[in-house]
Amino acid sequence: MRRTVSRPLGTLRGSPQLRLRVGFLVIAMVVSVFGARLVQLQAVDPNAYAAMAAAEGTVTLDLPARRGDILDRNGKPLAGSIEGAMVVADPSVTRDYAQELARFLAHRLDVDYFVTLKALRQKDRKFAYIARRVPASQAEAVVAAAEKAGYKGLDTRHDPIRDYPAGDVAANLVGFVGTDEALAGFESNFDDLLAGKDGSERYAVGVGNRIPLGDATIEPPADGHDLQTTIDLDLQWYTQRVLRQTVEDARADSGFAVVMDTKTGEVLALADHPTFDARNPQAAKPKDRVTRAMTDVYEPGSVSKVLTLSALIDAGKATAHTRVTVPRTLPSGDRVIHDWFDHGTLRLTLAGVLAQSSNIGTVLAARNFDSGQLRDYLVKFGLGQKTNVGVAGETQGILPDRSIWTSMTQDRVAFGQSLSVNALQMAAAVNTIANGGVRVSPSLLRGTAVTDDGLVVGSDTTTTQRVVSRNAARQMARMMERVVDPEAGVAPRAQIPGYRVAGKTGTAQRVGPLCGCYNGTFTVSFAGFAPADKPRFTVYVVVQNPRNGGGGGSVAGPAFAKIMSYTLRRYGVPPTGTAPSKLPTTWRPGQVASR
Amino acid sequence: MSSPAFQIRSGRIRAVAPGMQSALRARLTVVPRLRTRTSPLPFVTLVSFVLLAGVIGLLMFNTSMQQAAFTTTTLEQQAKTLSAREQTLRMELDVLRDPQHVALQAQRMGMVIPASPAFLRLTDGKVLGTPAPATREDGVRLLPRPPAKPAVLDPAPNIVKVRAKNGAASAGNGGEGGKNKHQSDGDR
Repeated sequence: MRRTVSRPLGTLRGSPQLRLRVGFLVIAMVVSVFGARLVQLQAVDPNAYAAMAAAEGTVTLDLPARRGDILDRNGKPLAGSIEGAMVVADPSVTRDYAQELARFLAHRLDVDYFVTLKALRQKDRKFAYIARRVPASQAEAVVAAAEKAGYKGLDTRHDPIRDYPAGDVAANLVGFVGTDEALAGFESNFDDLLAGKDGSERYAVGVGNRIPLGDATIEPPADGHDLQTTIDLDLQWYTQRVLRQTVEDARADSGFAVVMDTKTGEVLALADHPTFDARNPQAAKPKDRVTRAMTDVYEPGSVSKVLTLSALIDAGKATAHTRVTVPRTLPSGDRVIHDWFDHGTLRLTLAGVLAQSSNIGTVLAARNFDSGQLRDYLVKFGLGQKTNVGVAGETQGILPDRSIWTSMTQDRVAFGQSLSVNALQMAAAVNTIANGGVRVSPSLLRGTAVTDDGLVVGSDTTTTQRVVSRNAARQMARMMERVVDPEAGVAPRAQIPGYRVAGKTGTAQRVGPLCGCYNGTFTVSFAGFAPADKPRFTVYVVVQNPRNGGGGGSVAGPAFAKIMSYTLRRYGVPPTGTAPSKLPTTWRPGQVASR
Repeated sequence: MSSPAFQIRSGRIRAVAPGMQSALRARLTVVPRLRTRTSPLPFVTLVSFVLLAGVIGLLMFNTSMQQAAFTTTTLEQQAKTLSAREQTLRMELDVLRDPQHVALQAQRMGMVIPASPAFLRLTDGKVLGTPAPATREDGVRLLPRPPAKPAVLDPAPNIVKVRAKNGAASAGNGGEGGKNKHQSDGDR
C-alpha cells in the first residue's frame, strides 16, 4: 500500500460523514420522486386513476332482483317470476370464432344472427348480452353444448322470466311487462313495489379467470314485494267466461262485470271483454288491454233509480207504498219523458215504479226532493269521484256541477241519464243498499300498497260512510226483489231459484263518440245482490251496444244470475229460507194502503 | 476464528514458568470465554422443517380451498338445476291447475256448472235451496266463438222444398236467419 492512491477516493473512504450525506441525498431524491408521483396520483384526478385501476383487474356484474308476484286472494299466482337465465358472452374470447358461434346460437336460441354476431365481435369488451329471459335449463344446455363444440366464452347469469299462468284471467287488471319495463296494469302502476332493487357483484380477475381470494364485493339484490289482490281467480275466470258468452251472443261491443263482497267492499272479480292474453299481449288491440270497467264512462240508466228512490225514502219524502199516478208522457222543460213501454195512465206504488222501471214515475217522485238534495245524495253514494283502488287511468265519471243543476237536469239524472259513471263506482253505490245503507269504499288489493304515484290503496284503507238509513236500505232491497218477480217485475231471468234476489235493470241511451249525442245505441246492465234479506255479494253486469235488441233484463239479467249463483255456491251461502217480498206494485182507488 | 484462542492459551502456559511477576501479569489476562461448540444441525433442521411445513401447509390449504371452490361450484350448479327443474314443474302444475284447463277437461267428461245452487245440511239432512239437475243449457261456453266467416266461405244454405208425391206439402226447415225476432223486454 505504499503506492500513491488517488486522493478523492481515499478521502471518501476516510469520511463516513460525507458518504452518509451523499447517501441521504440520493435517498431523498428517490423519495421525492415517489412523493411527486403520489401527489400526481392522489391530487390530480384521483378518480380517473382509480377507475382505470378498477377496470384493469375487476369485473362488475348486475344481479337482477326477483320481481314480486301478483297473487289472487288465495295466493294463487296471477303473475309470477320463474327461474330464467341470460346468456352472456366474453367478446374478447369469442371474437375469433364469432361467425360460427353466432350461427350456432341463432339455431339454438331465439336470437337474431346479425345482432349476435355484432355482440360477439365487440372490441375491448369482456361482456355482452346474447339472449335474455331464457328458461334456465335451456340456457344451461346451450352453453354446455357450445363448450362441447369447442366454443368458449359463453356464460349464463340469473335473469327471471315473467309468467302469467292464468293467461287472459284478470289480464286487464294485472297488465304485462315488456323486455325491460312494465307496460300496463298493476305491473306498471306498482312497478316500484314489485321490481325491488337490483344488486351488483364485483370481483377481481387475472388473465380472464376469477382470482379465488381476490377482491370481491357483492351487493345482494333486494327482491320485490308481492302484491296480493282481492280477486278470486276461479270466480274471475267464470265471470269472464259468462261475460264473453253474453257479449258474443248479444253481438255487443264490449262488456264488464263486477263481483263485490258486500261487507268488506273487496272486489272478487272485475271482468272485461274483449280482453287479451297476458302471455301474448301483442296479439290484442291496445284498446283491449285497458281496464274498461274503470276507464270507460257511460250513463248508468235505470240502475240509478235505486239510488234516487232510496235517497227519496231516506229523506222522508216517500215510502215503498207511496202511490204514484203515472201518465202516458211527462213534459220536462222543453222535452217530453217517455216510458220504455207504451201505457195509459198507470197506478203504481213506488215499489211498482221500480219493478216496472217507469221513468215517469221516478221523475214524479223525485220532484219532491229539495233543490240540490238528490245531487248531495249521489255524491255520498260515491258518484263523480274516483274509487282509487289502484287502477291507473280511472275515470271519475261526470256528475253535473251544482251550477248547471236545473230541474230538467234533475229529472234526467233521476232515471240515470245526463250523468256518467264507471262500473266499479256504480257497483259500490248499489252495494251501499246491500250493506244496509252504509257505503264501503271498494278495494282491489289486500292490505296496503303504494302506487308509483304515491297513492296509498288497499283493503286497509277502506272507509265506510252512512248514506241512507238502515230502514230506507231495507225497504229498497224489498222493492228490488219485485224487479225479478215473474209477475210484477221486468227481469224474471235474473232470478236464482230458491234464493231471494234483489236487483235492478238498466237500459240507457249511449252517447256516441263522434257526435257527442245519443246515437241510438244502448248500454244495458243489471245490478243486484243476494240473498236479499242478508246480502253477501253485489254483482253488476254491463253490456255496451248489444245488437240483438235485448235490454237489461234479457241480456245482463241471465249473466247476473249465472255469476251470482256461482258465487253463492262457491262461498257456501245457502238460501235464507225466508218469505220473499210481496210489496204491492199497483194500487186501486179507494184501497187502504197497507204495510 | 479459533486460532487466536489457541494463542492465548499457549501464552498462559508459557507465563507460569518465569516467576511471580509474570504469574501476576498472567492473572490479569482475559479469561477465555468458554465456548461450547454447538452443532448447527438442529437449528437448520428446525428452520427447514418450519419452512417445509409452511410450504406444505400452504399447498394443502390452497388445494383444499380449490377443492372447496369446486364443491361449491358443483353444489351451486346442482341447486340451480334443481331449482330450474322445480320452476318448470311448478309451471306445468300451474297450467294443469288453470281453471280454463280444468273446466275444459270437465266439460269433455260431460260435466256442467250447475245454474241453481242447493245445499245439503248434514246435521238434519235438510236440503237448502231448489235442487235442479244441471242441463246442457246451463253450461258456459268456455272457448270464444270462432270469427265469422266471410260470405264467400260461408254461403247460405240452399233450401229446396220438395213436394211429397201424395200431394201433402212437407214443411221445409226454412231460413231462421230471416226471422230475427227482436225481443224488447228491457226498459229505458
